[in-house]
Amino acid sequence: MFRRLMQAVLGVTLLGAAYVAVTMTVAGDRRMLLSGQTTYAHHQLEMACETCHGRSIFASAMTAEKSLNKNCRKCHEDELKAAKNSHSRKRFRNPRMAEYWNKLDARLCTTCHVEHHPEITRASAVTVAMDFCVACHSQGEQDIRTTRASHAGLGFETCATAGCHNFHDNRALFEDFLLGHAARPEPVRPAVHVLAARYLARPGPTDKALERGDAIAPPAALASPDVLGHWAGSGHAQAGVNCTACHAADLAEDAPKAQVLTRWIDVPPMGVCMACHKPQAKTFVMGRHGMRQHPGIAKPRDAQQGLARLGLSRVMPGWMSHWLSDPAVPTWMTVGKARLPMHADADPTMAVDCGSCHGEHNLDTVRAAVEACASCHDDPHTRSYFDSPHHTFWRLEQAGKAPPGSGVSCASCHMPKLEHHRQVRTTHNQNDNLRPNEKMIRTVCLDCHSLGFSLNALADAGLIRKNFAVRPQIHVPSIDWAVARSLSNPDAAEN
Amino acid sequence: MLTFTEELLLLLGDEEGLFLPVKEHAFECALAGAILMDLAFAFRIDTDLQALVITDPTPTGNPMLDRVLEKISARTDVTDTPAWIRVLATEDAALIREQALDSLIDRRFLKRQHNRFLGVFRSVCYPTLDEAPLQAVKSRIEDVVSDEIPDPRDVALISLVDACQILPDLFPEWEAKQTASRLELLRKMDLIGRELTGAISEIQDQIIRAARAQAACFKRSLLTLALTASVAIIVTLLVPSIGVPDRYGLSLPAQLWFDGSWKQFSGYLLLVLSLVGLAIAIALKKQLLVWVSGSHRWRLSHLVLGIACVFTLFMHTGFRLGSNLNAALMGTYLTVLLSGALVGVVVGGAPRFKQISLNRIFAARRVLIRVHALALCPLPALLIVHILTAYLY
Repeated sequence: MFRRLMQAVLGVTLLGAAYVAVTMTVAGDRRMLLSGQTTYAHHQLEMACETCHGRSIFASAMTAEKSLNKNCRKCHEDELKAAKNSHSRKRFRNPRMAEYWNKLDARLCTTCHVEHHPEITRASAVTVAMDFCVACHSQGEQDIRTTRASHAGLGFETCATAGCHNFHDNRALFEDFLLGHAARPEPVRPAVHVLAARYLARPGPTDKALERGDAIAPPAALASPDVLGHWAGSGHAQAGVNCTACHAADLAEDAPKAQVLTRWIDVPPMGVCMACHKPQAKTFVMGRHGMRQHPGIAKPRDAQQGLARLGLSRVMPGWMSHWLSDPAVPTWMTVGKARLPMHADADPTMAVDCGSCHGEHNLDTVRAAVEACASCHDDPHTRSYFDSPHHTFWRLEQAGKAPPGSGVSCASCHMPKLEHHRQVRTTHNQNDNLRPNEKMIRTVCLDCHSLGFSLNALADAGLIRKNFAVRPQIHVPSIDWAVARSLSNPDAAEN
Repeated sequence: MLTFTEELLLLLGDEEGLFLPVKEHAFECALAGAILMDLAFAFRIDTDLQALVITDPTPTGNPMLDRVLEKISARTDVTDTPAWIRVLATEDAALIREQALDSLIDRRFLKRQHNRFLGVFRSVCYPTLDEAPLQAVKSRIEDVVSDEIPDPRDVALISLVDACQILPDLFPEWEAKQTASRLELLRKMDLIGRELTGAISEIQDQIIRAARAQAACFKRSLLTLALTASVAIIVTLLVPSIGVPDRYGLSLPAQLWFDGSWKQFSGYLLLVLSLVGLAIAIALKKQLLVWVSGSHRWRLSHLVLGIACVFTLFMHTGFRLGSNLNAALMGTYLTVLLSGALVGVVVGGAPRFKQISLNRIFAARRVLIRVHALALCPLPALLIVHILTAYLY
């Protein structure tokens, strides 16, 4: 009996070991090999190891590290460039900076951001202690405590946590920026977000507008008054975009109706939206809602190729190579996969695509700006929004009692209007200005608030939870210190 | 013609060329008895109830017998058979064994084979080359026990085999009750055989007394070590992981639990300790270490290695139980360690559990050993996967 049990355990072990060996070298789900929980956001693509680790396995430590850092940059480098990265890789690759390489090697992302270590992972996926500035700024000419009298008694743990400095993005914290905005008073209410106002004031198409009777669709679709009504009132109908543009997207605009009916797709793929809304799609896949469609995600390994590499393709039956295939990264993020608190009654299988926020036919940007967010997200910040002055301004604007662009929705802050080549567009990367939150100051906060107020508000974690319902209880002295320094030594102001 | 010593060694061999598990003192006494019987049957000595005397000091031509004959001639302080059995068992048993084995090897009945277990533990075994002599000896014993009229040589041989208590191993089909009276009768027919049995039983009494004292000491040590190991393992399971200081710079906890080089050092140290522990366990099971030294020391060292593994595991993980396959590895490893430690607690604590019957103690020990063995099965695979995963990307 015992001998048989032992044989059974050994058999199961051998089978398991063989499966693991195959998943390592050929293909198959490798999530069982994860040494720890993957950080928030990256967990969405943790089944595609090659996205971060590259394709060479059992490489030397140096090769593996290089590959890892190269893949970090592949997705995050543009963002860092846009942030005018204060500690850029380029700056630290200079041999004159060699003395800092052993202190905190800023050439490598993995010096501060190591995956699969949830225990030491802090905000922004930082895995070194938050007083990391001490590594370089506590000695010699970089000793900030001796070069700045105001910093003499400060602990290094406060550098990046008190609203004063960030490692990468200091666009709203540079000393000249602080000085430039020091004297600016709090704007008069209701303040208007300039780009949002410009966006809302843009002229719409006048000659192409379609009406209910113009819809080209199968009889069953036309029989649904809701669908038809939603479309007729949407931006699509106003811009002359007929049903066929999405449901039979591969046909020419003037294709015969009979052909349209044969090529009709009930649920068009998101690629159809992306084909026309390219700028929005480009930013959507960079945020956590749409990152599963990011072009940088590695394709699943080809099991057949892996078997051939090991010389096993002839001995392995075809069905086995199919069974061994890598799990593909799902097309959509779903509510159930979120690690942020979600409404208990939100459908966990609901995919986050264009339609889930905008609606399939009505394309309601007002709903998409607030209700769509609050229909899934259920955290103190979201709940408090509805009692905040921001929401009051939003209601007033929607009611026509305040000027366009004066309301503040979820999207106003997290998906702000940005100008690109003189065109105002909504960024669909809702994470772009989220962390560190000072990234939000230049693109959002300063339209309605002074820099001092913005710095204080964003440094107050309690106030953020309350969605800025009251005045900040924290004062960030950056501006005071910058002003005092410029007065005492006008030539010393530097970035 | 084979000597009694050679016949005894042939009977003691098993299929793998090792020797049947015989109590060391019984084996040594049997060898001493065998050589005296050889001398008696060569008409060189005579034995009676009072003394062992040399009747013919002429060498027999067999170096092994002649050396002992010379020794008996030279010593006047030892006179009777039990005393000579004790002297030869204590002073000459190892040499007699080696000489008899050499003789069997020269005559191509056995061969000497040197092995190295895991490249560390050296062992020698003696596989049989020719089965015929062994079968002949066995059939002689069978005939005598099954009521044939015994030859004096066969009576002597039976006494030797009986002294080593290997008859049940040689003839497992025999019923002990049926053969006991016949064996008793045969034993009384041979004086040396009778003395041999008496000497063994007397030595056994002395050994039992010494062994009891040694066993009590062993069990105390075993219990102490096993309790230490159990507590350490339970602490590993229950105590939450030790955090690292939220300060930038070198700190021992951060280095131990998050630095690749230190993790490799502690990991490989753990691997080496585990392998040595496993090797000792296998060597004990395969009787490779019994000849080197008593098994108690090795059993205790197996336990000490287990404790060292728990502490190295702490160095490697800081009480972190891991996730996914790492969690499976940790669970399996701790099961192996805990079941092993509990076996030590049960065995070492047995004299103190007076209210629990021995049967229950043995049953608990058996269950724990089985859990220990079962948990060991997936461990190598999980360990290999763990190591490979560290180098995969």
